[in-house]
Amino acid sequence: MTLAVSRALLSMASRSLGSDRRTWAMAMEAEFEAAVEDRRPFLFALGCLFAAWREIGKHSEGRLILANYALARGLLIPMAVLQFQQAIGFLSSAGGRPFGIPSAADGPNFYLIWSQNSAIPILVITWLLLGIAHLCLAWMLVEGDWSRIAKCGMLIGAAMITLSLFMGVLMLDLSSLRAQVAELAIEFVAVVSISRWHIRVLVGASRDLLAR
Amino acid sequence: MGRNRRPSKQMLLLLEALSAHTQQWRHGYDLMKETGLLSGTLYPLLIRMTDQGLVEAEWREPEHPGRPARHAYRLTNAGVAFARMATPAGPLTFTKVAFT
Repeated sequence: MTLAVSRALLSMASRSLGSDRRTWAMAMEAEFEAAVEDRRPFLFALGCLFAAWREIGKHSEGRLILANYALARGLLIPMAVLQFQQAIGFLSSAGGRPFGIPSAADGPNFYLIWSQNSAIPILVITWLLLGIAHLCLAWMLVEGDWSRIAKCGMLIGAAMITLSLFMGVLMLDLSSLRAQVAELAIEFVAVVSISRWHIRVLVGASRDLLAR
Repeated sequence: MGRNRRPSKQMLLLLEALSAHTQQWRHGYDLMKETGLLSGTLYPLLIRMTDQGLVEAEWREPEHPGRPARHAYRLTNAGVAFARMATPAGPLTFTKVAFT
C-alpha cells in the first residue's frame, strides 16, 4: 500500500516537472529503487513531489499546469456545484404553481402543468449531466487531454441548448439560465485561452527539443 | 547572480559531500544519506547547481543488472573552485548534526 502511494506521488512529481525537467524526473525515478531498498520510499517520493512543486513556477509548462489547476478548482468545480444546486432547486420547486400563467384568475392550464411535470425528470437529468460534464472537464483539463476536452465542451454546449429549448417551450422561468449562459461564456473564453497557451508551450518545447 | 550569494547551509553540506572526492560520481540517494538532506531539498539544490554549472550530471550504468540507469553527480572545475571559495578557511567542516 505504502509502495503504491509512493509510486503515485513520484509519478505526480514527474508530471509536475514537465518536459523541461524530464531528465530530473527520470533521475528521481531511478533513485526510487534505492529508497525502496532503504525502506523509505514514501519519504523519498514525498520529497520529490515537494521538489517538483518548488520548481513548478520556474518553467512555462509548470505555470501552465498551475493555471490548469486554478481554472479547474476556481471555475469549473464551482460551476459543477452550481449545476447540481440548480438541479436540486428545480426538483424542489417542481411541486409549486406552474409558470407561464398570466394570472390566477385565468385558472390553471392543466395541459401546461402536465407538460411541465412530464419534463421534470429529463430537465433534472440534463442539469445533472451538465454538473457531471463540468467535473469531467475539470479532470481532463488537469490531465491535459485536449481531444476529450473538446468533446466535453461540445456536450456542455448541446446540453445547455437542450435545456434552454425545453425550458422556453414549457414556459419555465429562464432567469437562472441567463446567468448560466454568462458564466459559460466566461468558462469558454478561459478554456480557449488556456488551450492557446498550451499550444504556445508545446511549440516552444518542440523547438527546444529540435535545437538540442 | 546566484553564485554571488552566500551559499545556504544545505548547499554547503552538499558541497562538502561532493568535494570529498571530486572525481567520483555520486548517486542522489547516496548524497541524501551522507548529507542528511531530504529529496525535497537535495534535488532543487542539484538542479540549481547544475544550471549554474557547479555540478555535472551523467547517466551511469546500474551496478546490478535489471536495474535502471542512475543519474550521478560530481563537481565541475567551477564547482570545485566555488567549494574552495565558499570555505576560505579550509576544508568544509559542516556536518548534518550541526543543522538538525
